[in-house]
Amino acid sequence: MLELSGDGKAHTCDGLSRRDFLHVGALGAVGLNLTHLAAAQAAGATDGDEERACIMIFNLGAPSQLDLFDMKPDAPREIRGPFRPIRTASDAFEVSEVLPLHAKHADKFSLVRSCHHDAAAVHDTGHQMMQTGRLFRGGINSPHAGCVLGYLRGRRSDLPPHVVLPEPMGPTGGDLPHGQDAGFLGKTNDPFALMADPSKNGFQVPDLLPPPGIGEARLQRRRRLRDIVDKSVDRFEASESAKLMDSNFESAFRMITSTRARVAFELSREPMKTRERYGMNRFGQCCLLARRLIEAGVRFVTVNTFLTVFNEITWDIHGSKPFTSIEGMRDIVCPMYDKAYTALLEDLSARGMLDKTLVCNLAEFGRTPKVNPAGGRDHWPQCWSVYFAGGGIKGGRVVGSSDEIGAFPAERPVEPSNVVATIYRSLGLKLDQTLPGPQSRPYPLVDYGVHEIRELF
Amino acid sequence: MACMRSVSSSERFATSGKVACVLLVPLALAATARAQAPPSLTILPSKVELRGPLARQRIVVEEQLGKHLVGEVTDNVSFGSTDPSVVRVEDGVLVPVSDGSARVVALHDGRAAAIDVTVRDQDRPFAWSFRNHVQSVLAKASCNSGSCHGAIAGQNGFRLSLRGYDTLGDFFHITRDAGGRRIVPSDPGRSLLLLKPTGVVPHKGGVRFETTSLEYRVLAEWIGRGAPAPRDDEPRIERIELIPPHVVLRPGASQQLLVRAWFDDGRSEDVTRWAKYTATNASVAHVDEGGRVSARGHGEGAITAWYQSLLVVTRIASPFDHDVAPEVYAQSPRRSFIDEIVLRKLESLRIEPSPRATDAVFVRRAFVDTIGVLPSADEVRAFLADPSKDKRDRLIDDLLDRPEFVDYWAYKWSDLLLVNGKRLPPAAMWSYYSWIRDNVEAGTPWDEFARRIVTARGSTLENGAANFFVLHRDPPAMAETTSITFLGTSITCARCHNHPLEKWTNDQYYAMANLFARVRTKSATGAGNVVVFDATEGDLLQPLTGKPRAPSPLDGEPLPLDSNADRRAHLAGWLTHPDNPYFARAIVNRIWANFLGVGLVESVDDLRMSNPASNEELLSALARHLVDERFDLESLMRTILRSETYQRSSQVLASNRADDRLYSRYYPRRIMAEVLLDALSRASGVPTEFPGYPRGWRATQLPDSNIASYFLKSFGRPNREVNCACERTDEPSMAQVLHMVNGDTINEKIAAEDGRITALLAAGIDDVRIIEEAFLGALARFPTDDERRRIAAELSRVPREERREAIEDLFWSLLTSREFLFHR
Repeated sequence: MLELSGDGKAHTCDGLSRRDFLHVGALGAVGLNLTHLAAAQAAGATDGDEERACIMIFNLGAPSQLDLFDMKPDAPREIRGPFRPIRTASDAFEVSEVLPLHAKHADKFSLVRSCHHDAAAVHDTGHQMMQTGRLFRGGINSPHAGCVLGYLRGRRSDLPPHVVLPEPMGPTGGDLPHGQDAGFLGKTNDPFALMADPSKNGFQVPDLLPPPGIGEARLQRRRRLRDIVDKSVDRFEASESAKLMDSNFESAFRMITSTRARVAFELSREPMKTRERYGMNRFGQCCLLARRLIEAGVRFVTVNTFLTVFNEITWDIHGSKPFTSIEGMRDIVCPMYDKAYTALLEDLSARGMLDKTLVCNLAEFGRTPKVNPAGGRDHWPQCWSVYFAGGGIKGGRVVGSSDEIGAFPAERPVEPSNVVATIYRSLGLKLDQTLPGPQSRPYPLVDYGVHEIRELF
Repeated sequence: MACMRSVSSSERFATSGKVACVLLVPLALAATARAQAPPSLTILPSKVELRGPLARQRIVVEEQLGKHLVGEVTDNVSFGSTDPSVVRVEDGVLVPVSDGSARVVALHDGRAAAIDVTVRDQDRPFAWSFRNHVQSVLAKASCNSGSCHGAIAGQNGFRLSLRGYDTLGDFFHITRDAGGRRIVPSDPGRSLLLLKPTGVVPHKGGVRFETTSLEYRVLAEWIGRGAPAPRDDEPRIERIELIPPHVVLRPGASQQLLVRAWFDDGRSEDVTRWAKYTATNASVAHVDEGGRVSARGHGEGAITAWYQSLLVVTRIASPFDHDVAPEVYAQSPRRSFIDEIVLRKLESLRIEPSPRATDAVFVRRAFVDTIGVLPSADEVRAFLADPSKDKRDRLIDDLLDRPEFVDYWAYKWSDLLLVNGKRLPPAAMWSYYSWIRDNVEAGTPWDEFARRIVTARGSTLENGAANFFVLHRDPPAMAETTSITFLGTSITCARCHNHPLEKWTNDQYYAMANLFARVRTKSATGAGNVVVFDATEGDLLQPLTGKPRAPSPLDGEPLPLDSNADRRAHLAGWLTHPDNPYFARAIVNRIWANFLGVGLVESVDDLRMSNPASNEELLSALARHLVDERFDLESLMRTILRSETYQRSSQVLASNRADDRLYSRYYPRRIMAEVLLDALSRASGVPTEFPGYPRGWRATQLPDSNIASYFLKSFGRPNREVNCACERTDEPSMAQVLHMVNGDTINEKIAAEDGRITALLAAGIDDVRIIEEAFLGALARFPTDDERRRIAAELSRVPREERREAIEDLFWSLLTSREFLFHR
């Protein structure tokens, strides 16, 4: 049953690729049902625009809306903070002086200044909602938007449909799931996580190349022998974890045997000038790699700006250890972030990819309107800013607004479910379809009545 | 008072349902009407006392088969009262009329049921109280939720305690803040407390209730009486009851839950309307805001009801449609109470148990689960060839005695206690690890093990356990870690507010943390040497009150603040007491999860009332067993290992495919990172070398998680940074597969010059024997005829000079097979 063709052919979104995609291991009845449901829905589920893609930049730690995207220069000192707003390429909004390159490219992206959620103010809940559209309740873990896309459309090349750079989010204090996997869609739809820092010298995907001496012939023999051994044990079929091990073998062999897939990860093929434009740091090189992966056929790339909030300089500016100070954000985080994001927009735009590639910059919440005694700002899910570029989004706009101190939405409140619906809409997925939920019950892609942020399109 | 008059006086606790006709039917008549109808009828609650003119009690009518409630029929029932001058039934709600007793009868489909109702105190005035009613309304309307006024900073200048845990503080904020505008006793309707939630004036939180609602009436009448303060002598809530405690429903059926609150004056109130409900497995049973449960799928689900910081759980069973003969359960072998209880559960949900695992599967499983080591080819051969009937029992006894047992369990407890060279200097790390290892080796009972840690004192180099207090430096961290380590429960939420999902309160948290307030450390001579001791004074202040709380283990007895007693010894006494309901359950669940793959409570450090066990009866019985065995973990392990439940095959049957919590079969899972690495070493005969450790040292012998290994990292070794079961993952990933295919771990082991492959080739045996040896060493079984034939054919095609490579490829295929990577 283990089908390891690895022929390097790019597959398109049809019954074949989906069968292929799940034609691994001895799938149990449950797995088969899911497959059929997906195949049956595929025709009507999307608008057929195959090349739509998304880069989700997840600003783990949560940037301060008041110091960056939604400044209140007329508010009292303890509200407005230390920075000033500057004019931008858009007439509609200003941004902070600490993001000068954002200002230059403001015609390409649009801000939503009224995002809010009402769950507990711990990082993890926001991660769940912003990546899956829902808070996890009743033991039901909803899937990451990229996994949904991968599930509905399958892969477009030998690369996995959804890649996480550089690694999945680590602990952020809440001990809750972060919403960064396929949840109830099953682990076969989990993203591929790079697990390496692409800015490191000699970077390569760990173990992508066979060791010297193991040529094509031996690789094939190993696969034949393994097939004999594995086939005689059919008792694993009900184990999700065992099915997954099989599908991972399938995906891994495809990637190993595909030149195009390998090349996509080779950042050394980029001119040094380009690499430096993104910044020779982890986040910068992840943004560059994201562009290369989308070019090579990956449908969705999630870039985690940071991996944890502890003992690292991040957006989590509580002002005290082990978190970050507002100066740390100004001097280290912002220059790195400003450079990489705008280089990505420039590149996508120059290569004509921006129209079909949504770039969304999300975070789990905002920061408290009032600066705290440590000079930082704490968690604030009641109102914050997110922004979008490409993928059919009109740039240079502002949707929604916050009140005079950035504490609550004043106009057009937007919820995480609307943000995720916006991603789906940009990717050409119909919002009124259902996914196979727990116990194979149909589960709505978004809850009834949830819409995309229409003003962005 | 205008507003008050506008409140409908016919407002009832229950709002749904039709007015049922009131019929008086003698019970005898109903009984003869349809004698053959199998399910009987039952009214819940089975006994009701209505005290005071505003007392109400909703009732539900259930069908009952034997001991089981099998669904509600309330909607199609006619109710009657034997004395309508005492009690009436309106919309399924009991309404008192005058003092006395009566019977209330329900008629459905020719069957009848009745309950006794007593009515008292109708001439006594009744008034809503702030503590017991206003707070309940605010909680149910989510006014004091974490996203609204219950946030730490409040909302829009109005702050309440989260879910109302601070009654006095809330009373103050409502009645005194904002210049008193929140309440207007002379004209309650003009109170902000009523204008805002009804949306009469703009409210960011939206409309929470209508002016015609009972909620409005409670607040308005309380304000109208002058907003009296909570009194010390008013009745306090003692417990809440969820009715029915267990019900069997078919998918599509629904059930109205009832919540009764009991007060210390013996009175009960129907608080169904103000309780908050959550479903733990919404794919089986969903619950709405009013407490109506609807069954959606097959299996078991639980519903939790919360009221005034108290929690109660009901279980909803929705049996599968499988046709399993009763003999299947009757004839299924039972070794101990474990099998009795598991089979009972399986029978109730109509899930069939898988048969016994083969000897080959059992020997590998028992080795890996008990001592973290693969059996050698010789050990497998000997076990399979042994004809004696008690060989499994003897193998279990042998395993519990082996030195690798000590390595494996010392490793597990080092995970739990966060032995980590990144956070402790080498000498201290070794001392901590050696302490754990010595105690495992000596078979220290778990209660004594825990006692020695929480009371540890002295030099950390001499008493390794004292490092616990070096890793966890302040009293809150010590209390939280003690709780998660030994009670399997997180109390962290209660640091700032009452735990919303547990019974722990902020008061209890600070009482518990104060037990550690006098722990002190000072550096001593020698690297890593710290002395842990107790000061004679010092208390931890509770931020809410600014005062210390009398030191007390969670729900144990407090010590007086001025007592000189050893606070940590007091804690240890409570912690390890046989009657402590949490301690034994936590360790039993951890041990059970090690052997059966899935904890009775998942995850193993998330024991709380709102996260019930998949088989509560079994968890309680195992905990009792451990207490009876004087906390001897090896005895517990022996009982588990011997059970038929543990020894079941992982083979899936049609009727147990969907089961992943009830132990109808063994659940395959990937072997944990360290054990897997050791298994690769053993099967290939080539150890992995760890810098600084002798060759041949196994991964499960490492004291420290801070040893670089790409293999261990990508296969999910925990960092031992935080005490959370979530740190370790056994989930397969593509990074793992890439590493197995192309990485150096397996490839170097099979290419090594001094391994098993070299030895087998040197022995001059033929391909078939080599295949057999490779299978026994890796998979603990002989190859099947088909495997033998096909692999031999593959090998025979290889030219002589490539024979070694081909055997390497055979080993690779075995070491990367699912059968190798999984417990099964």
